[in-house]
Amino acid sequence: MTAYATYETLIVERRGPVGWLINNRPDQLNAMNSTMRDEFAVAWAELEADPEVRVIVHTGEGRAFQTGVDVAEIASDGVGMERYRQSVEDFDLHFTAWHQGVTKPVITAVNGICAGGGFHWVADADICIAAADAQFFDPHVSIGQVVSLEAIGLMRKMPVEAVMRMALVGRHERMPATRAYELGMISQVVDPPERLRDEAQALGETVARNSPAAMAATKRALWRALELGLTDACRAGAADLVSLWGHPDQTEGPLAFAEKREPRWAPPAGGLAPPSDGLSGLSS
Amino acid sequence: MTYTALRVERRGPVGWLVFARPDRGNALDATGLAELEAAWAELEADLAVRVVVNTGDGPAFQTGLDVAQLSRDPAALREQSRRTRDAELRLTAWHNGVTKPVIAAVNGTCAGGGLHFVADADIVIAAAGATFLDPHTSIGQVSAYETIALVRKSPMEPIVRMALAGRHERITAGRAHQLGIVSQVVDPPDRLRDEAQALAELIARRDPALLAATKRALWAALEEGPPA
Repeated sequence: MTAYATYETLIVERRGPVGWLINNRPDQLNAMNSTMRDEFAVAWAELEADPEVRVIVHTGEGRAFQTGVDVAEIASDGVGMERYRQSVEDFDLHFTAWHQGVTKPVITAVNGICAGGGFHWVADADICIAAADAQFFDPHVSIGQVVSLEAIGLMRKMPVEAVMRMALVGRHERMPATRAYELGMISQVVDPPERLRDEAQALGETVARNSPAAMAATKRALWRALELGLTDACRAGAADLVSLWGHPDQTEGPLAFAEKREPRWAPPAGGLAPPSDGLSGLSS
Repeated sequence: MTYTALRVERRGPVGWLVFARPDRGNALDATGLAELEAAWAELEADLAVRVVVNTGDGPAFQTGLDVAQLSRDPAALREQSRRTRDAELRLTAWHNGVTKPVIAAVNGTCAGGGLHFVADADIVIAAAGATFLDPHTSIGQVSAYETIALVRKSPMEPIVRMALAGRHERITAGRAHQLGIVSQVVDPPDRLRDEAQALAELIARRDPALLAATKRALWAALEEGPPA
């Protein structure tokens, strides 16, 4: 069993092939303070590097999933404010899997309130599911803040009007999980809500049955599709597709299928993708 | 031209391109790949054809390349690999530059490479009971072309989930309708071809030049990247 670093604001653990990253500031509705920000960067890197982890699930403790930046800390601590301002100005963020170039599949499991900056982890996940009592809203404009990065990501991934409405209505309206499902923002509503982690684990184990190398290349091709026009995205995707030719999984997959057994995949390469690989720049 | 892996037919103003290897899930062998190019060209050139409907015989719509057959035909496999590598596929109406409206009528299972014909159609309808899945990653293959186009046309998350869940999950016709991947679910399913014909005839009443210009403008919109 891999020993992970000790975290103050997160829980990082592994259950079978599934790595768990759990927001653990329930009393602050999992708002992100300076420590949590740093710990996210380390946690994604650790889970990416652990060859036993095939899929990562991200969820939260308590009644909220994530509520964005800890405004109380920012307001009271001059250092936190300065660091926050600088990182946004430089678009030098490290708190989501997408920012960090994680190549493994990431499932966000929204356990409750997801507000404002919490949308970063919805926008940047590969797969998103939610408990039936989860609620989504973006209070930025209600407290004099601009909505930008999170909503930009979401707008490329789902019907635009719904995102724009959340951004402009602010804290005065909440989107229930059922509506998020209708819109294709999430692919599964878990009812009763307390089954969320079991369902996320099961989904993680299902995804973990597929080739890590093929999933990493697929993920690269699909996220790049948000950055390019259709023809260019297909050309670039061809390179991702061809990149796996000759890889052992390409013969193991069909062989295992023919022999009606579970495939024995090569372990994940486990290296964060370089930032130049089309995984950054969406919001630039 | 005579076809063996496909059938090309005309009913009034509607041209039909039907996958016709039902005992092989309509998978595309070397013959089918060559015939597809010829069929799209023939339907595009025939001035009596105003709209094209693409469907399949049997329980499957389309399940992608017939890898078993292609592995016995090295020249065809080599050529298909070259086209894949160079992004020069000639499978769909979009690949072949068809300017007429194309309706995919998904009659059953649409798997893997079959998703090309959904992603690249102008309009997609499906029989109740049709399903969509992408088994590539379950057999160690990368999912790229088909899902790249779908990501641009549908909410992204369900497409990424389909690609990462591989053969272990399917999107139902009902869910595809909710997500806007298909615009009509035909129930009972055996009415699919009648409904596709009726929809095509409705569209065929419009000026062909107008339809072609509209189609050109809307597909071009998918080519624009975000402003630099």
